[in-house]
Amino acid sequence: MTIRFEKMIPLPMLEQDTSGSEVWEAESLLLEQGLSYVVEAPSGRGKTSLLSVIYGIRTDYQGVVFMDDRELVSFTPRDWSLTRKSKLSFIFQGLELFDDLTALENIRLKNNMTAYHTEERITEMARALGIEPFLHRKAGILSFGQQQRVAIIRALCQPFNFLLADECFSHMDHENRLTAYDLIREECEARKAGLILTSLNETGLPNADVSLKL
Amino acid sequence: MRLLYQILWKDHSRAHLLGAFLGTLAGFVLLLAGIQFYMDIKVVLSENRDLLDPEYIVINKKVNIGNTLGLTVGGFTKEEFAEIEAQPFADQVAAFNSNEFPVQAYTEGEQVPNFITDLFFEAIPDEFIDVKSDDWQWDPEKGTIPVIIPQDYLNLYNFGFAPSQGLPQIPKGVLSMINFKLRLQGQGRGNYDDYNGRIVGFSNRVSSILVPLDFLEWANEKYGYFNKNDPSQIILVSKDPTDPNIIRFLEEKGYDTIREKLKSSRMNIILKFVISFLVIVAAIIIGLAFLVFLLSLQLMISRSSEKIRRLNKLGFHYREISRPYILLLFLLMAGITGLSLLLTSLLAGQLHETAEAWSLNISPSLHGIIYGTALGLILLISVANVAAIFISTKKLCK
Repeated sequence: MTIRFEKMIPLPMLEQDTSGSEVWEAESLLLEQGLSYVVEAPSGRGKTSLLSVIYGIRTDYQGVVFMDDRELVSFTPRDWSLTRKSKLSFIFQGLELFDDLTALENIRLKNNMTAYHTEERITEMARALGIEPFLHRKAGILSFGQQQRVAIIRALCQPFNFLLADECFSHMDHENRLTAYDLIREECEARKAGLILTSLNETGLPNADVSLKL
Repeated sequence: MRLLYQILWKDHSRAHLLGAFLGTLAGFVLLLAGIQFYMDIKVVLSENRDLLDPEYIVINKKVNIGNTLGLTVGGFTKEEFAEIEAQPFADQVAAFNSNEFPVQAYTEGEQVPNFITDLFFEAIPDEFIDVKSDDWQWDPEKGTIPVIIPQDYLNLYNFGFAPSQGLPQIPKGVLSMINFKLRLQGQGRGNYDDYNGRIVGFSNRVSSILVPLDFLEWANEKYGYFNKNDPSQIILVSKDPTDPNIIRFLEEKGYDTIREKLKSSRMNIILKFVISFLVIVAAIIIGLAFLVFLLSLQLMISRSSEKIRRLNKLGFHYREISRPYILLLFLLMAGITGLSLLLTSLLAGQLHETAEAWSLNISPSLHGIIYGTALGLILLISVANVAAIFISTKKLCK
């Protein structure tokens, strides 16, 4: 699967100085499955906007976005539902967890849609990220760093061609960050999926194929 | 998808849903019981009325002072007759013919005291007459005129006049045997003929002195010289005398009849009025309850709007998100249907017992139309609510 932008720019970005941006100033930009992209920029340069446009949450933009050869604007609610269940996965900056459900239930909510991972694999991933002891606690009472790891695992519990990760390591220490990044890469490789990762300036994340400046 | 239900049902308002549930239930019971009651009473009315037996209704114009002074004539014109004939409740209509010459009746012989009286005749087609007799025919050869008099006349004599005057009471059979003479007078002095008269029956239906129609036509031809008047009475047959339109028509036109016979028609009007009132009240209650339902579900959805947006971001289709609301709606609707049918059938059973004490035959079980109405209404409310749920969840999704 490919994602292609043709002179795409979110309307709010029009009022900003976007000179030097490899995304907003580009005539055309092609994102290919199987490659990993790191989008680095300080706050307010449109990192979340970029991912939201791809994910169909934002539609206030100029230009055209294609998923394979289909324009995103032609997607019906059914298309978006299918896309979000099996083609695109999103680790939201705002996490979007349900506070009243336990960490495990939050993960299951996603996993049940496609029964992608076994319970064992989910526990294994939780153990790798060090949140196995908190799986049965309500998500609302976990620390933000712990919640971030729950959100990461949830996003990995479905098939996808692209994983969109929006500043998903912001509240983790360096060690956790690397473990989580490794898990994400491992899961992406298992699906031969692309990764689009935004960050403020995540130094020390190896193996990114393409680095884009906003 | 237990988790989806867990997430979305958390935001319900028990008080709202319970209120809507009870309100709709009350409206349903009222409506269904009203229909059940109406159907029962209708059956009882028509049973007592003996619907198989059509009602014969004799109508006339109200007599006013103008008639007394001879300024107006109280007959039915041809147009008025045609109008009555055109009414849907009038299955058969006939006008009363009357004699257009003077008639006198007198007795001869020793068994009975001599008397003489002026008389009148009226005639209607045979099928309108409730007396069936082989003697009821006019044969000019024989010259005997069969006469039917009202049962009331005989009763007046037997139970009113005779006891007070010390006269003997006369049974029907004896009166039928009495021969009397009828003198029909044509125009001019001495232009008259005497015929034998015989009472062949007593009518409960027509308050008039009846002779066969073919006789009267023949006699009018032979002796008649009065101005032809419009018929003053009309008889009509109605297969459904409970039809409230009969009374409405008669009142509108200012026609008169024996009210007793139209009791069921009048009762039907009152019953219909009471039932329509009940149905309107029930409809208002159901309408309001339906609104509370709609608003409760919408409130529930808008309380959950953040969660719905979140679920949509995770890939749930708005139809999947609507499912918990629709299931809740269906559970409540099924509860209302079941409970309202149960309560209505309990009421019907109660009514049946009470009615049995009055030996009225009221159905102890629900009429088929009750189930139909309940299901139809539930379907209508459900469809409208499901549509509203889809619209509002779709709004929240991208």
